Formats: sequence, C-alpha cells, structure tokens
Amino acid sequence: MWFFTSGAFWFIEGILCALAVIGLKVWMEDRNTPMRLWKWVLVGAWMLLLGFTIAFIGTSVGENEMVAAKKGGIIFSVICVIFGAVVWQLLQIGRVKNTGDLKTDKNEEV
Amino acid sequence: MKPKVNRRNFLKAVGAGSAVTASAGLWFFGTQAGQDPASYTGMTNREGGFQTFNRRKWSVSKPTYEKVGETSRPDARTEVIFARMGQIRGYDKAKGLGEFPQHVQDYYKAHPEDLELDTTVRQEIHAKRSEEIKKPHDEFILSKAWSSAMGAVGPRGVNAPPEKWDFPRGSNTPYKMKDPKRTSRLIKKISHQFGSTLVGIAKLNPDWVYKYPMNGGRGFKANEPMEVPEHWQYAIVVGVPMSWDPMYANPPYGTSNDAYSLSRIVAHRLTAFIKNLGYAARPHTPGADYDLMVPPIMVDAGLGEQGRHSIVITPELGCNFRPSIVTTNIPMAPDKPIDIGVQDFCKTCKVCAKQCPSGAISHGEKVEIRGYKRYALHSSKCSNFWSSKLGNMGCRLCVAVCPYTRKSNWLHQAALNVSLHDPTGLSDIALAKMQEVFYPGQEPQKYYMPSMGGENASYRPVPWWLKTDDFIDTADGE
Ligand code: SF4
Ligand code: SF4
Repeated sequence: MWFFTSGAFWFIEGILCALAVIGLKVWMEDRNTPMRLWKWVLVGAWMLLLGFTIAFIGTSVGENEMVAAKKGGIIFSVICVIFGAVVWQLLQIGRVKNTGDLKTDKNEEV
Repeated sequence: MKPKVNRRNFLKAVGAGSAVTASAGLWFFGTQAGQDPASYTGMTNREGGFQTFNRRKWSVSKPTYEKVGETSRPDARTEVIFARMGQIRGYDKAKGLGEFPQHVQDYYKAHPEDLELDTTVRQEIHAKRSEEIKKPHDEFILSKAWSSAMGAVGPRGVNAPPEKWDFPRGSNTPYKMKDPKRTSRLIKKISHQFGSTLVGIAKLNPDWVYKYPMNGGRGFKANEPMEVPEHWQYAIVVGVPMSWDPMYANPPYGTSNDAYSLSRIVAHRLTAFIKNLGYAARPHTPGADYDLMVPPIMVDAGLGEQGRHSIVITPELGCNFRPSIVTTNIPMAPDKPIDIGVQDFCKTCKVCAKQCPSGAISHGEKVEIRGYKRYALHSSKCSNFWSSKLGNMGCRLCVAVCPYTRKSNWLHQAALNVSLHDPTGLSDIALAKMQEVFYPGQEPQKYYMPSMGGENASYRPVPWWLKTDDFIDTADGE
C-alpha cells in the first residue's frame, strides 16, 4: 500500500475538496449568485467526473496502457469540458447583476 | 505596516489552491493505483484476503451452463487434445486410419477437419518451426529461463488407481467431523494457507469425470472404461494466478508454469491434509494430471462462469488462474454456483474470438456438447498455434485479452460493479466497446512466427525484468 492509495490520502483529499467547496461558495456569493441544493448536486457531479477523468488517465499511465490513457483521456476530458460549461451556465441562474453585496462581511479583513 | 489580507479573497484562493492540489493528488493516486503491488491479485496470498467477492449475493440455484439433452461423459483419449496427439502418432495419409484403434477412427470420422489439423497441418507447422528455432532468438533467453525455473518445483504425480492411491496408509479411521459447514470453512482456510488464491467446493457431478482415462496414466489401464469411484463425492477447487505482467505479454513471454507449480503444490498439500484426517483424497492437477474436466466443476463450486473461450471467468482473477481439484469424501457443505452476467457479456464481447490467432474460439452461438450447451473450442487449431510461434510454450492470449482479466484496482473494480449491477445490459455493450477501443490487441496474424507471416508479437510489451537485451550481452563475441 502506497501513500496515494492509502486511507490517509483520501482523508487529505476530503479536506482539500471541502476547502475547494468553501472557496466556490464564497466566490459565488461575491458574484451575487445564489447556490441552491440542485446547483451543489451539479457541482458535485462535475467534480466527480473531473476526478474520474484525472484518475482514469493516471491509472492507465500507471498500468502502461497508453492507448487507454490517450483515447480515454480525450473522450472523458471533452465530456468533462462540455458538462462543465453546461453546469457553469446553469449556476448563473438567479444571479443578481450590479446590485449591492449579498454578504455584509465581503470586505472583512483577517 | 502589517499587510492586510481580505478574508473572502483568502478563502477563494485557498479553495482554488485546494482544487488544484486535489486534482494533482488524483493524478498521483491514479498512477500509483495502476502500479500498486496490491493490485496484482493473488501474487502474495494474504491468507485468502484476495477472495473478496461477495458470492452469496450472486449465488443461483442452478449453474449457468444449460443441460439440454442426454448427457454423457467425455472420452479423454480423443477429446483431450494432449491425449489425442498421442493417439494419432505415426499416422500416414496413404495408409489412412485403418490400423488405428476403433475409438480413434470413430473420432476422426466424426471430426474430419481435426484429422487434417492433427496430422498434415501440424507436421507442416513443426517443420517450419524446426527451421525457425535454428536462428538465434535472444529475446527469449530470460523469459525461457524464468518459465523453466517456475516449473522446476512440483510434487510427484498420482501413479495408482483411486482405490489404492486415494486412501490414507494404514488403518486410519476417519475423525468424526462435527459439521459439514464447519469443515468447508476449515478446508477453505487451509487451502488459502497452502497458497491458494481461490477455493470453492462442489458436490461432484459424475458427468464431468472422464469415461476413458487420458493415456492410461494415474493408475488407470489404457482403453478401459473408468468407473466413478464412490468416494469421489466432493470436489475442492483451488486456483492461483499466473504472474500478471508476463501474462499480458502473451503469447511468447508468459508462462503457465508458475501457476501450474503452485496449484499442484496446493492440491497435494490439501490431499495430504485430508488424508491425515483419515479421509480419501486425490489431486487432479496441471499440466495433464486429471481424471476429470475442470471448468464445469469450477462453475459448480461457485468460483465463476465459463466464458466464450471455454475458460472459467472469476470475479477476482478473471481467467488469469490455473486450477487444481481434489476429489474427496470428507463431508462438506458445497458452495452454490454464481451468475455474474458472463453469459450475457460474452454474447456481445467476442474480444477473445476476434483476437485468437488460430480461429479456435467460436464467434457464433453455443452448441450442444455431450448434452450441455456451451461455446465450442477448436482444440486442434489452438494447439497448432502453440507451435506456430516462438518463445515460451503455449499461448494464453485469450486469458490476457479478456476484459475480466484485469488487475484489482479501482478502475476495473468499478467496471465490474457497473456490469454486475446494471439490469439493462447497456453497460455491457459500452464496456465491451471500451475494451476494444481502449485496450486494443495486435492484428492476429502478428502473433505468428516470422516464417508464418507474423512478428511473434505480444499483446502487451514484455516486462522490464524479462528483457534479455537489458541484462545479457548477446552480441557475437567481439
Ligand atoms: S490459447 Fe491462443 S490459440 Fe488457443 S484459444 Fe486461446 S487465443 Fe486461441
Ligand atoms: S473475451 Fe469477451 S467474449 Fe471472450 S470470454 Fe472474455 S468476456 Fe467472454
């Protein structure tokens, strides 16, 4: 068992994903874009697809299956980009343009 | 002055950094998962830790082969290719089959194509091969040495009939076993302890026992019908994988010897263990030390299903294994057969049939053989190909290309689970297509030796530790 296939890796990966989600939440708030549950579900699905694509290519390279890495990489990456673009458009639904901040602590300093 | 950091921008930056780091982590996860020694299922025994598939969930009351007519037992003298090769030795086309025993004449009358393949065609191939092997083939020095070493250790074969050989010496009264279920559990644990990756138990169906012995070995008299001994009540099936990386470099670089040797050792150890408890036991082991057919017994024992290429496909190892069987009378609770969807998958897949260089694997539907429906395998074509290539003995390409024969990492486990849980069958079509697009093989002709129009190709590149050039100076002594 190596580090990247161990439980410790997935623990750290979970923390990183949580931080990425928090970052996305703050960013969307700053863009005055409300995030609903269905939007989070879409974001989650896209993250899974992206993760699958990266891990698929990596695993195929690790297995020395270069054809799978190349062909699978292209196919899944294209699907990932298209799905990502669609999700991004859907996330914009309900966005309030040029109005005041949704959050009062926007300029809070740490 | 202390620089001021905007809290929200900080969180966004951390989020973006985390996303990039998590993505990079997945890349490293992938590359390590692809090479992880733990994915080489069965190469360290882990005391049965590799037999992880939840068979109970997929168990069925009937095996996945179909009984469609009156059944009969196989005549090993002609139906087992290794025995048949011995039976037709000395054949002269001009004289015909007249001087051969009746069963040989009957077989070839029913299978005229086999006569040509087993005689004239084989002789031509052997002549070409004799010429071919006169040339130096340095690329196989290491793989041949490795294969030969793997076959160097093995127990002595069985040399007496069941009524003599199978029983413990002396007047051992069998110990009274408390409960058949417990005995099954014990036998499985012990088999794993002995080095087996897979183990399953079946009530022995007499249909799988040869009607005539292969070549009169193992204590049986040649050409005398075999009775199924009363004490062959159960069959314990054990199985171990062939080394994964060379297996993908078949036909020329792989070997069966590693798994043959360990499989034999496990079966003989298990036999000794059962005899020590006072019960009868007899091992049936590779290369050709059998009194029965193995694949249907594996199916009965719930280890897997028989595929289009006639080999049994297991959830853990695909078809990358070499089995042995111990027939015994120690009372056990047999396992149930399983249905993991192989029959449906093979209908669409056909990868093995398309890749098989000899055309031995059927592209068509199942046919009736001795009262059971299954895919036909043309063993004469298969064995002729073994001599049509160089490198290690045998071929095993159908093992390597089968989509079920994959190392145990998240990717292939996920594919197996999708296939298992999809009732529509659509995923089978997608997965079979993906196998062809993502994991393509060579043009079948390329697997032949050069004098037969090929390149002696392998399905996947030879592993680094079998590359002769990297270790041995093969240049002519300058
Ligand atoms: S071992 Fe080779 S020749 Fe024989 S059936 Fe399999 S792929 Fe074909
Ligand atoms: S390669 Fe495909 S058709 Fe052949 S046995 Fe394997 S799953 Fe079945």
